[in-house]
Amino acid sequence: MDEVVPIWLVWTIVSIVVTFAFPVISWALGRWYQDSLLNKLDVAEKNQMAAFGADQISSTSNKVSSLSAQSSVLLHTSIVVGPSMGQMFFMWSKSVFGGRLHSYDVVISYGRREVVRRLQEQATQLGCSSITNLRIQTSTVTFAKNSKGRTSSLEFLAYGTGIRK
Amino acid sequence: MESPQAISLMLSNVETIPGHSLVNSLGLVSGSTVRAKHIGKDIFAGLKNIVGGELKAYTELLNESRNEALQRMMADAHSRGANAIVNVRFATSSVAAGASELFCYGTAVVVQ
Repeated sequence: MDEVVPIWLVWTIVSIVVTFAFPVISWALGRWYQDSLLNKLDVAEKNQMAAFGADQISSTSNKVSSLSAQSSVLLHTSIVVGPSMGQMFFMWSKSVFGGRLHSYDVVISYGRREVVRRLQEQATQLGCSSITNLRIQTSTVTFAKNSKGRTSSLEFLAYGTGIRK
Repeated sequence: MESPQAISLMLSNVETIPGHSLVNSLGLVSGSTVRAKHIGKDIFAGLKNIVGGELKAYTELLNESRNEALQRMMADAHSRGANAIVNVRFATSSVAAGASELFCYGTAVVVQ
């Protein structure tokens, strides 16, 4: 009975492992999932840019393209994205020292690119050949159960006027 | 919710309706809606948060709500006799934990 590891030590080790295992697993899964999303987006964006034309989107109310327009339609689309729990945990620990938050960078740039891509898709479906006065807005979405009001996810809204020629 | 026959006006977020000419301006119109999240969707979104990425339930909910706000704005403009709304803008704010307000506004006009 002397060689048996004391029970308190076992419990301490188990609790430490359980505490850190979840964020680490969540972070790793999230990293893998988000990388696959980004790779998919890279391909889709390239195809769509080639089809739609990168110069057909502008953030100004282009008078020239409006003059020759037949009709127009208001396009709007939004996407809600959130970082994984593991990323949030590591971000929280990183905020002690400050610096660049890579995880948020990835999530935010994904959301913003995806929402513009979807707007283009919508424009194509509605027969528009260009988008003018494109606006992108960001807002936070909080979960009801999250009483502290900590930011859990972000909403990106893109809207603009689609021009039919 | 709204009347079954959806009102459809011409909308744009530039200062004119491209391809048409403005005849008359009828003033500011707006529409808003406050939506809370369904608790089931909230729990599911919480699970999705394990890997992160897009939360589809929320995306759908917000798009639906934004369409409703647009419908209300269009009903407002329609009751004034407008046939188009120019310079439409959107605003989003979270009023409480789990609820967000979607607001849109624009200028009601008559176009030819």
